[in-house]
Amino acid sequence: MTTHEQRPPAGAADTRVLIVDDHPMWRDAVARDLAAAGYQVVAAVGEGRAALRAAAAARPDLAVVDLQLPDVNGVEVIKGLLAVLPALRVLVLSASGEHQDVLDAVKAGAGGYLLKSASAAEFLDAVARTAAGDAVFTAGLAALVLGEFRRLAATPRGEADDPVPQLTERETEVLRLVAKGLTYRQIAERLVLSHRTVQNHVQNTLGKLQLHNRVELVRYVIENGLAQE
Amino acid sequence: MRSPWHTTARVLAVDGGPHGYEAPLWRALTVFRVAAFGFAAVLAAARYSHFTRPVLVLCGLMVMALWTGYSSYAYPRGARRSWLLPWADLAITVGCLLLTRWVLHADDLAVTLPMVWIAGPVIAWAIRAGRRAGCAAAAVIGACCMVVRGRIDLTGVNEGVLLLLTAIAIGHIARLSSEAETRALEVATARERERLARGIHDSVLQVLALVQRRGTELGGEAAELGRLAGEQESALRQLIGTRTAGSASHSKPAGNADLREVLSRFATATVTVATPAAAVVLPGAVADELAAAVGAALDNVRRHVGPHAPAWLLVEDEGDGVVVTVRDDGPGIAPGRLAEAARAGRIGVTRSIRGRLEELGGTVAISSPAGQGTEVEMRVPRR
Repeated sequence: MTTHEQRPPAGAADTRVLIVDDHPMWRDAVARDLAAAGYQVVAAVGEGRAALRAAAAARPDLAVVDLQLPDVNGVEVIKGLLAVLPALRVLVLSASGEHQDVLDAVKAGAGGYLLKSASAAEFLDAVARTAAGDAVFTAGLAALVLGEFRRLAATPRGEADDPVPQLTERETEVLRLVAKGLTYRQIAERLVLSHRTVQNHVQNTLGKLQLHNRVELVRYVIENGLAQE
Repeated sequence: MRSPWHTTARVLAVDGGPHGYEAPLWRALTVFRVAAFGFAAVLAAARYSHFTRPVLVLCGLMVMALWTGYSSYAYPRGARRSWLLPWADLAITVGCLLLTRWVLHADDLAVTLPMVWIAGPVIAWAIRAGRRAGCAAAAVIGACCMVVRGRIDLTGVNEGVLLLLTAIAIGHIARLSSEAETRALEVATARERERLARGIHDSVLQVLALVQRRGTELGGEAAELGRLAGEQESALRQLIGTRTAGSASHSKPAGNADLREVLSRFATATVTVATPAAAVVLPGAVADELAAAVGAALDNVRRHVGPHAPAWLLVEDEGDGVVVTVRDDGPGIAPGRLAEAARAGRIGVTRSIRGRLEELGGTVAISSPAGQGTEVEMRVPRR
């Protein structure tokens, strides 16, 4: 895995990174690793509200966000950041287990999720992939997303014009393999696909979920008459 | 950091008296006994000329006074300890009641010597052990009332019914307050656990994860320390649990278990447990059996791939069934070897997994795609 450290990803120097983590030691460690890999760390803050202010001022391309923040819920911070900077890529780096808040973060628009127990090399790899717009999945996140699609499919719907996002058979297959801990390379090998195709399938599942989330949000806004105000 | 200790102390205080809810009930019983004794004493004084053996009456009243004092002292302290006290209570009350026969003329027996004081043990039994025990005490005392009078009349039946009603009402109150206390304690414990979890999460877990990360980077002895820190981190995370006890107990009916919680104990630094966000509810026995099968599969990984070999555990809820997959990245099983082993009678772990799943009406599929480890897929239908 040392190859990642020696070969900074292309465009790292142009990538402006915002770090949001309430733990000072972690903030420093993450900032140091990113700086060493050639990224431009424009701000490192410990609170959600400070993150929103910093994002507006420093206009980062990528944010590394811990979901556990003292003032504002991490998911709300991600929503706020994306409202200010719609093109921002968000990587969730959290010590929390993989639960509802992680799923909510991803539905809100985070492009990837990594546990803090990951190695520095895995972290930098995840940052590079997130910066490139690729989804970064752990096995845990894949299981959460799979479960969410099953939940959506099983929830009875009243209106016919309400589209429920569905995974294709292939997407389900790929996601299940990610959830079982296979690497993209192993999945590509097993399903006789290219690495890129596997990546695209994973990306699509996330896209469908985020799109559905936005549709739901819009519907909620219209139904509750919030749009007129 | 917020200090965790003062809230802990409060929780312990709630827990301090083993049955704090009983205290007001025992106090009420003391008030009742004292008042009832006073009533009996006043009535005895008023009827002094009716008694055939005044000395015996005085002795009886003395016993009642002493017992009122002693039982009021002993019941709240000896709560739940021994049955000696309730039995003694019943015996002494019955004794005082039966005494009436020897101190009053047969035609004066409508009002007994201890009067309503006889309800004491009925209330005590109901507080101590619920409605049924209270009713049993009421039946004994009611029967004794009839024995004293030597006949079954309306007064006696009325007395018995009142005693039974008392037992039922008090027993019911005791149960309600015990349930309320249990619930309050559960809520307090869950809240405290959640608060501690937050505290630990904010500090200890983060530092352990950081030590693991830096240690691995530095290599050598530091890497070993890092590995240990990583193990402790996942053990601690599992211990504090990321789900709240409150949310878990809402969604599942009694006797059922959330498979995610049951299987979360297998999560370690090397075993990844992946689950959906919603509870995977199964009957408790099915979840336990499935957990045993998962444990066997993970043992197999440790034995054949290595003690620190990474493994993945995936839980999927398909609505009409649940699928649990255990995967490792080991060398896998050579094609045909499994069948060969089964033929040779060396079926060991697969038999134990298959046996358990068959008992649940489920199936097991073991696959080993070339170079990609081994997958044990266990499928249990929902009935």
